[in-house]
Amino acid sequence: MSGNGMTGENAFRSSKKLIPKEAFFHWLDSLRKRFRLLGPVKEGSQTVFRDIGSSKELSMDYGSTMLSPGKLFIYKPKEELFRFSFNKGASVDETPLTAENQVIVGVHACDTNAILYLDRTFLGGYRDPSYETRRKNTIIISLNCTQVTPNCFCSSVGSGPFLRAYKGYDILLTDFDESYLVEIKSRRAADLFNMEGKAAGSKEMEIKSEKEKSMLDQITKKVDVEGLDRLFLENMDHPVWRHTAEARCLSCSNCVMVCPTCFCYHITDETTMDLKMVKRIRHLDACQDIRFAEVYGGNFRSQRAARLRQFVTHKMNQTGQYGVPGTVGCGRCITWCPTGIDLTEMTKEIQRS
Amino acid sequence: MVSHGHRPHRDDERNSAIMNPLKPLKARITDVRSEVAEVRTYAFSVDSVFSARPGQFNMVGYPGVGEAPVSFSSVPHKGSFEHTIKAVGRVTGFLSGFKKGDELFLRGPYGRGWPMKNAEGKDVLLIAGGVGLAPMRPVVQRILEERELFGDVNLIYGARNEQNLLFMHEFGAWGKSISLRLAVDEISQYSPVSTPEAKDVKRGRKYHVGLVTDLLEKVKPGPETLAFVCGPEIMMRFVCRGLVMQGVPNSKIYVSIERRMKCGIAHCGHCQHFGLFVCKDGPVFSYDEIRGLPDGLL
Repeated sequence: MSGNGMTGENAFRSSKKLIPKEAFFHWLDSLRKRFRLLGPVKEGSQTVFRDIGSSKELSMDYGSTMLSPGKLFIYKPKEELFRFSFNKGASVDETPLTAENQVIVGVHACDTNAILYLDRTFLGGYRDPSYETRRKNTIIISLNCTQVTPNCFCSSVGSGPFLRAYKGYDILLTDFDESYLVEIKSRRAADLFNMEGKAAGSKEMEIKSEKEKSMLDQITKKVDVEGLDRLFLENMDHPVWRHTAEARCLSCSNCVMVCPTCFCYHITDETTMDLKMVKRIRHLDACQDIRFAEVYGGNFRSQRAARLRQFVTHKMNQTGQYGVPGTVGCGRCITWCPTGIDLTEMTKEIQRS
Repeated sequence: MVSHGHRPHRDDERNSAIMNPLKPLKARITDVRSEVAEVRTYAFSVDSVFSARPGQFNMVGYPGVGEAPVSFSSVPHKGSFEHTIKAVGRVTGFLSGFKKGDELFLRGPYGRGWPMKNAEGKDVLLIAGGVGLAPMRPVVQRILEERELFGDVNLIYGARNEQNLLFMHEFGAWGKSISLRLAVDEISQYSPVSTPEAKDVKRGRKYHVGLVTDLLEKVKPGPETLAFVCGPEIMMRFVCRGLVMQGVPNSKIYVSIERRMKCGIAHCGHCQHFGLFVCKDGPVFSYDEIRGLPDGLL
C-alpha cells in the first residue's frame, strides 16, 4: 500500500475497465492474504456489513443496510482511548490502536459520501488519531446502486444513487450485468488493481448514464433543500416540531444510531474493581437523549420537540457547519423510526405553510 | 448565516501522530484559595510549555470522575495559571476536595477567547454575573497590565448577594485603574434595607440592589464601546438587549456562553448550537453570531 495515498491526491493513472464479475471477485479474494475483507451479506431479511471469508458470501445487489460501513469499521461505535493507572501517582497511556488493513466492498454512494462527511469532523482542525489511522488503513470499494428503497432521497441532496465524488475512496463499481465497470479512484487502488480488462470508452459511459437515469427514475422520495437554512430559522416555533415530537417521537435515538453522518460521542470512565486502573472510553451518543445538552442548572434541550428539531435541522441544513447538508439521503432514520417519523415530510410541511 | 468577526485560533499544527488531542496532561495544584461559598481558585503548574488567551478554557478532570470545561481565571504566566471553580456537579464537586500539592489532569487550551486586539484603543464595558466574573478576570488583568492601550474601562458585576461576589480582595487594585460597579439581587447580611443602594460598612463599598441591567444607563456605553458579557444566559439575554437599546451595535457585544462539552475539539457534538461548535467557534461569540438561535436564550 502506498503510505501517503489516503485520499488519492497524488497523481495516478486513472482507468476505467470492464471486468467480468467472476474475475473481479477472484481478485477480491486474492486480497484476503493482506486485508480483512468486509462487505454486504444477506442475513435473514436484512443485508448487513460484516467480515467475509470469501466473496461468495457477498450480496452485492442490495437496497440498504441498517448500519453504515463507515460507522462500523472506520469510526467505531465504542472504543477505548486511554488507560490511567495509579501506581505512585496517576499516569496516563494511550490505548494501543488495533487498526488492521481492511477492504470494504460494496459501499453505496450515500455511505461513501457519509464517510467523506465524517472526514470533515475527525480530520478537520483537530485530527482524531484512531479515525485517521483506520481511514488510512481502509480501502473503500464503492458500488453504484442497483436498487432503490422507498426511503432513499439521495438524489435530492446530490449524494446518489451514483457516486459523483472524485476522491476520498479507492474504486467505484457499476453493475454491468455480467461485468463490473471498474473505475480506479486512488493511487493505491491503481497499484493494487492489476487486472487486465476491456478499457471502457464513451459507449460504456453512456450505458452507465442510462443506468443512473433508470435508478433516478425509481426514486420516489424527493425534497427541495434549497434555502432551508433561512426557512428553518424562521420556523423554529413551527407547530410541526411540537406536534410530531409529542404525538410520535419516543426519543429512542434509533434515528441517530443508524445515521451514517451522526458523529456525536460521549466519553465515560470505567474504573476497575481494584481501583488501580481507569479506562477512558468513548462511545456513540445521541442528541435525542434528554441529558445530551444538560448543564448545571439547566438543560438547553429539555423539550422533546427541541431535540427532534435539533436532529432534523442538523441533517437537513445547518450548512454553516461544514458547508454541506448533514444528510446523505440514505433514509435510514425514516426506515428505523418505530413511529415512522420522516424528516423530509416535516421539511415539506414547513415549506407548505 | 454565520460570519466570524475574529477567527478562532486553533492548534492546527498539533501533530496527531505525536499526540492525541484528547490525551490530558498532568497538572499540579500549587495553591488553593477559597473565594466564596463553594467557589475556589486553584493555581496550576504543568511541566510542558502552556499558553492561553483570556476567554479560553481547559477540560479539567480526574480519571474515573470525568472532565468539565472550565475557563481560565488567570492565563498562564511564568508557568502558572488559575481556574476558579464552583462546586456544582460531579467533576467540580470532586475537585473541591483537592488541596495544594495534589495532581489532576487537564487539556487545552480550547476555543476562541475575548477579542482583546479589537478592544485596544476603545472604551470597554465588562459585564459579569456570579461566577461569570472568572472568565472576565484575565481580561481585567490584561487591561491592568497595559492600561494605556485601552480607553475608558467599566466593569459591572452582579451577584446574588454580597457574600457571593468573587475576587473582592482584588477590587481595591482594580478600582484604581477601571471603574467598578457592583449590583446584588439582595442584601443578606445588612438587612433590612429600603433604599436601592446599600453600604457594606466594613469595606466601605456601595452596592446597587437590583439587576445589573439597571447600571447600564449609568455607564452610558456609546456605539464605539466594546462590551464583553459573561454570566447566566438569562442575564446575558437582558444585558444584550439593554446594550442594544443604549446604542451598542450587535457586532460589538461579545458573550461567553456555556454548553455541555465532552471533547473541546468540535468532535463530540454536545455543544452544538445550530451549526456552531461552542467549544471551537466560541465560547466567546459576538452577539450577532448567535442572537435568536434556537435552544438558547440569547
